[in-house]
Amino acid sequence: MSRRIQILPDSVVNQIAAGEVVERPASVVKELVENALDAGATVVRVQVDGGGKGRIRVSDDGGGMGRQDALLCLDRHATSKIAEAADLARVASFGFRGEALSSIAAVSRLTLETREADAEAGTSLRAEGGRIVSVQDFSRRAGTTVEVRNLFFNAPARRKFLRSEAAETRAVSEVLVALALANPRVATSLSSKDRTLLDLPPAEDVATRVAQIWGEEEALSLLPVAGEEKDLSLRGLIQRPDAARPGFRRAYLFVNGRPFRSPAILRATDRGYRTTTSAGQRPWVFLYFGVRGPAVDVNVHPAKLEVRFRDQALVEALVERGVQEALSLPASSATLDSHPAPARMAVREPGGGEGGPPAPRRDRPPGPAAAAEDSQMALFMPGAPEAAGREEGEEGGDEAAVPMGVADTGRPRLWQVHDTYILAETRDGLLIIDQHAAHERILFQRLMTAFREGGQSGQRLLFPVTLRLPPAELAQISELRGLLARAGFEVEEFGGDTVILQSVPAPHPYFDAERCFREMIRELTEGSPLVRSANNQYERIAMTFACKGAVKAGQRLSRDEISELFDSLFATDLPYHDVHGRPTIVRLSKAELERKFGRH
Amino acid sequence: MDLTITRQNLHQGLAAVSASIPTKTTLPVLSNILIDAQEGGVWMTGTDLDVAVRIRVPAEVTVSGTLTAPGKKLQEIARELPDQPVKILARGDQLELRCGRSVFKLNGLPSEDFPSLPQIRFEEGWTVTGKHLQRLIHHTSFAVSTEESRPILNGVLWELRDGRMRMVATNGHRLARMAVPAGGTTATSADFIVPPAALQQVQRLFKTDDTLDVARDGNHLGFKASGTEVFTRLIEGTFPNYEQVIPKDNDKMAIVQKASLEAAVRRMAIVASDQTHRVRLLFGKNTVHLSVLTPDLGEGEDELELHYEGDELEIGFNANYLLEVLRYIPTDEVKLTFKAPERATIVEPVTTGDEDLDYLCLVMPLRLLD
Repeated sequence: MSRRIQILPDSVVNQIAAGEVVERPASVVKELVENALDAGATVVRVQVDGGGKGRIRVSDDGGGMGRQDALLCLDRHATSKIAEAADLARVASFGFRGEALSSIAAVSRLTLETREADAEAGTSLRAEGGRIVSVQDFSRRAGTTVEVRNLFFNAPARRKFLRSEAAETRAVSEVLVALALANPRVATSLSSKDRTLLDLPPAEDVATRVAQIWGEEEALSLLPVAGEEKDLSLRGLIQRPDAARPGFRRAYLFVNGRPFRSPAILRATDRGYRTTTSAGQRPWVFLYFGVRGPAVDVNVHPAKLEVRFRDQALVEALVERGVQEALSLPASSATLDSHPAPARMAVREPGGGEGGPPAPRRDRPPGPAAAAEDSQMALFMPGAPEAAGREEGEEGGDEAAVPMGVADTGRPRLWQVHDTYILAETRDGLLIIDQHAAHERILFQRLMTAFREGGQSGQRLLFPVTLRLPPAELAQISELRGLLARAGFEVEEFGGDTVILQSVPAPHPYFDAERCFREMIRELTEGSPLVRSANNQYERIAMTFACKGAVKAGQRLSRDEISELFDSLFATDLPYHDVHGRPTIVRLSKAELERKFGRH
Repeated sequence: MDLTITRQNLHQGLAAVSASIPTKTTLPVLSNILIDAQEGGVWMTGTDLDVAVRIRVPAEVTVSGTLTAPGKKLQEIARELPDQPVKILARGDQLELRCGRSVFKLNGLPSEDFPSLPQIRFEEGWTVTGKHLQRLIHHTSFAVSTEESRPILNGVLWELRDGRMRMVATNGHRLARMAVPAGGTTATSADFIVPPAALQQVQRLFKTDDTLDVARDGNHLGFKASGTEVFTRLIEGTFPNYEQVIPKDNDKMAIVQKASLEAAVRRMAIVASDQTHRVRLLFGKNTVHLSVLTPDLGEGEDELELHYEGDELEIGFNANYLLEVLRYIPTDEVKLTFKAPERATIVEPVTTGDEDLDYLCLVMPLRLLD
């Protein structure tokens, strides 16, 4: 019997590997740019023609290669990045398998030009379908340029699967944006034919890079997040809820500088946002994980798009908590300032740790926790003595006009305006509080807390309220009866289309229980973005109760009520956000006022 | 208009009237008072359209006439004037005021712009004593509702019957009812729902030894005694049938020193939730055990000795409602009666001897969940 099994020649093996690694021009760009970054480039330029189907050119100013290395680098599993199996566990570079370049070369006409900084001459090398066809000396500055032409020229089936030029260009741009966000200090550009699509000079930090890519306004809507847990650190930027919009979402995740995808982590982000955004709002997130040691495995996906954390639950908890903490800080509130302080989030130094043990370079973005904000109380401390001293020559006379709240209560002075907003004087500006939105947040948290403790007491009524309701609402009531009772609404069926409210919650003296109940039931029955944004029945009830039961705009409040509202708001976990994804507070800084009045 | 008045009379009149002037108004004439000089005296009127106060003070009127002038300013001036006769003249729409060597000219508005008061014929009404009226108002008006969806409950029900009158107020969570003898009423029975703001003016302006004429004209009610009149718009509608909700079968009774119960509830209220102010009372054989438990804050407990008959009963209250009701109970001892933890509790004074005190408060409990 003749032998039927045979070892495949390398050229075939490389084509098969290419099928996994090189899927489309964007994957070529990803591999080449990652190589450039691993080579310590400070400038990476990418040019594509025909969406990369015609030509892809990636040049860098990194370390370059000598002649021997250049000849070897097209071989499969040729890599400078790891040397033995143990290195796999502590990979700190983007690439490590030694597959990329050989795979790309196998399915294209490839030119490699490279020179090491201290070498006398560079090398230029041409390959077709993975076979080196020429090698010569070449003069260039240090670094490497790889040009890939006629991708899949020898794999027509694969070529047929490529999309339109515009779609492929977009995919290249996406890949590059992700890498640019991971490496803000590296100048990055992309041009297609002669058009510049991205031109990103070196950026100090991620927020600056975001501004370079999407504009200043977007960057200013971001808040820093930070967290630390065992071998895991989290830094990042997330969008203020009031700036979040429905529709497309920018969500970028990086682990040790490597972009990855994880629907589970995005869901954890959304849990952190819970109750501060309404259904459909998609806040942007940029999360950078630093992992020390073997807590993450990046070698689980051919294109390394997914990673496996040893303790996924820990990562998700870190994210959820980090987001929640960021949203509890004053910076997360809406602002009137035209030049708010941008969110600072430090990133790794390029180059990072040299020598020594394989100190994972990207594990720990340097810089102090970006969330080192003034604590809430510090924000409201009575003004510093010089602030109280007023301007020179001004008499301290006008005390009769001081409306309410004295500094020594530790609470800022408060005013109600238009029977709708509460103004609070803070050390560095002014808070404008929407009384209804603020009270929503208070009632929501109180009821959620009460649910955990069994429920909220209902006030029994001397004159029970009789309601006639449509069948769908009656059905909703009978389904929710137990929960409604724990929210304080004790409902009795009277027969027919009638129910009787025997007890109701009494959240404030202006509370219209009947109207609140009717509106709650209607919304719970008919649904709404608010109802849909809730995660469970408890939240659904608490949100609708908060929304319908809170003090309305237009309700004049007594001084005591204003103070109580203020204090209660800041006793909640998320004082800056109502339950609809709207702000409860808009900040106006003293600096902005000074700018507006031309004081400096 | 030309008149001379003592500083004291001027000030007294203005002080009485200016309290009814609204602090903020979109109708400028409402921040003015109407001055109407007639033979032997001057009438001053202020109103916020809901309640009007009119008072007559003696003055030497040489030329009668009417004029409106800024009420608060006039009052401040009258307060600061030297103790000398004050001469007031009308110059067109301007009021000129002279006192010693002080001269003021204040811009007024034509008196035609001032809202006209209801024409009330007091001779066709009732008469009540100031003392009784004051007592009723004091003991009931605190219980009116502040919530505006049921305007009826924003007023005090005043029932006038032959020989007896009664006031009732409630916000649906607690209720206060008091009755007193009303000597000398002449008209038929009547029910009014009176805004508490008007009753405040009545409390403020009439003395306990006044005898008041009370009469109604359409939607308005007037009070009158010795040169002072208060007019108010009435709240229209039917007051809920409160008799029906006063329990007749409360079979558990506690009698307790009012002061000690108040003090204990006040202590508990410190730790009670900001929102429900819930305190829990457990009545057992001659003791009551008070407790509060507030998530995120903590808990408190207290115990009092009292006289209690009946089965053990645990009931929750909004501490504020309980304290409020106790505050108005005029006797040292107070009687509470219960039926069940979800039913109305009656709070009544415990009278000694033959004192006639028809006063009753209801407090609806808070539902206890566990």
